[in-house]
Amino acid sequence: MTILQTKNLEASYGKLKVLNGIDIEVFQGDLIAIIGPNGSGKSTTLKTILGLLKSENGEIIFEEKKINKKNPYEIVKLGISYVPQGRMVFQNMTVEENLEIGGFILNDKKLLEERMKEIYSLFPTLHDKKYQKASFLSGGQQQMLSIARALILKPKILLLDEPSLGLAPNMMNEIFKIIKEINENGTTIILVEQNAQMALEIANKVCVLQAGKIVFKDIKEKINLEKLKKIYFE
Amino acid sequence: MLLPQLIVNGIIAGAIYALVAASFSLIFNILKFMDLSPGALFVIGAFATYAFNILFGMNFFISLLLGLIVVAICGVLINLIVYTPLRKRKADNFSLLLASFGVFLFLTGMILLIFGAEVKSFGFPIEKGYEILGIVITKLQIILIIVSLILFVALQLFMTKTKIGKALRAISDNPRIASTLGINTEKFTNITFIISSLLAGIAGILISLEQNLDHAMGFSVILKGITASVVGGIGSVPAALIGGFLIGIVENIGIWFLPSGFKDAIAFVILIIFLLIRPKGLFGVKTREEVSG
Repeated sequence: MTILQTKNLEASYGKLKVLNGIDIEVFQGDLIAIIGPNGSGKSTTLKTILGLLKSENGEIIFEEKKINKKNPYEIVKLGISYVPQGRMVFQNMTVEENLEIGGFILNDKKLLEERMKEIYSLFPTLHDKKYQKASFLSGGQQQMLSIARALILKPKILLLDEPSLGLAPNMMNEIFKIIKEINENGTTIILVEQNAQMALEIANKVCVLQAGKIVFKDIKEKINLEKLKKIYFE
Repeated sequence: MLLPQLIVNGIIAGAIYALVAASFSLIFNILKFMDLSPGALFVIGAFATYAFNILFGMNFFISLLLGLIVVAICGVLINLIVYTPLRKRKADNFSLLLASFGVFLFLTGMILLIFGAEVKSFGFPIEKGYEILGIVITKLQIILIIVSLILFVALQLFMTKTKIGKALRAISDNPRIASTLGINTEKFTNITFIISSLLAGIAGILISLEQNLDHAMGFSVILKGITASVVGGIGSVPAALIGGFLIGIVENIGIWFLPSGFKDAIAFVILIIFLLIRPKGLFGVKTREEVSG
C-alpha cells in the first residue's frame, strides 16, 4: 500500500532550483535509500516533504491527502517524523528533556512515560545518561538521541537525513543496525545517505539523485551494481 | 554601616533591573535580537495601573490586574503587528532592533500624549523605614525584593518543569527542529511576549509605587536591563537575576563616591567592559546557529 508519494516535486532556495521534479512512491514498510552526490537535493527532498521548505510545484501525498501547504508542526502530527542532518539535539537540555520535547504532541502523560520506557529499552545508553545535558554526549550518542526523539511519536514514516555523518565506523555500524531494527519493527523509513554502500546494505529500494532529479530507482534485488556505480560515479 | 546600606539599596534597584533583564533575555532567547519594547511596556504597566487606580478610582489590586492585562495585550500586539511581518520578510536582527526602538519611542510618546509630562504618583504616604542592624529599609522595598525573588523562582520553575517552558527552551535552541517535533513556534513566540511583557510591566508597577511615574522612565531601564542581561549572560533566567543585583549594587556603591549624574555612566562602563572582555556574560549559555543546508 502506498503511504507517501511525491509527484513532480520542485523546490528552490531563493533563485537556486534544487529539486527538478522528484517522483517517489513509498510503500508501507519500505526502507528507501536516497543516495547521490553532494548538492544533488537529497536533504532538500526530505525537508520539502516535511514542509521545512515549501514546494513550488508538484504534489506531496501522504495517506491519500495532499500535504504540500502544511507546516512542519502539522505534518509531524500526521505521522511523519524527522531526524535532521548533524543530529541537532537540544544541547542545553538533558537527554530526558530532549525526549519529552520529542513527545510534545502526546497529550497523555502516561502514554509519554510508556513511550519513554520503550525508547530506553531500545537505547539503554540513553537511559544511563538521561539526566545529562545532550551537549555532553558523544556524536554517536547524540545521533541515537536524535533518532529516539523522533521515534517517541511512533511515526508512520521516519525521515533520516545522513545519520552516518561524522561518526566513527563502529558507531556507524551500530546506528545502521538500529535503523534496520526500527524498519523491521514496522516503521517505514526514507534514508538519505552519503555512504551509499551502507545504505544499500539495509535498504529494500534505492533512488539515485543527480542535480535534483531521480536518475535511477529500483528495488534492491533488481539493482545492477555495475550500472549503479556507473551512474553514481560518472 | 555605610557599605551594607549601599548594598541593600543596590539590591532594591537590582530587583527591578533583574526583572527587566529577564524580560529582555526571554525575547532574545526566542527571536535572537535585543528587543527594546520591554522599556515601553515597563512604562505602560505603571501608567495603566495608575489610570485604573487613580483616574478611574478602582481598587488597587483590580487596577494592578487590569494594568498587567493591558501590558500583556500590548506585548502580543507588538509582536503580531511589528515583528512577525518583519521576520516573514526576513528582516535581519539590526532591522528588528531599530524597529523595536521605534516601538519604544512610539509607545512612550503615546503615554506622554495621553498623560502629559507632569510627574505622577500613586500617592502612598511616605513611610518611615525599618531599621535592621543599622540598615534602613521600607516595607514597600521589602515587598519589592520579595516579589522579584518569587517571580524569578516561579519563572525558573516554569522554564524547567513545565511542558510550555521546555518547549520555549527547545525553540530557543533550534526553532526549526522544534517545529519538526510538532511545536507551533509562532504560538509560542506570542506566549514569550506575554511572559516578557508581564515581567517588564510588574517591574514598572513596582518602581512606580516606590518612586514616581514619568513617561521617560523607560530609557534608563533599557540601559540597566540590557546591561544586567549581558553581565549575567543572555539566555539564562538566574543569570538575569544575578546580573540585575550586580548592576544595582555596583551602581549604588559607585554613586556614593561619584557625583550622582554618573549613575547611568556606571552601567555603561560595566556594559562596555563586559562586551570587551566577556561578551557571553558571567553565566552565558551556548547558542547555536540554525540547521544548515
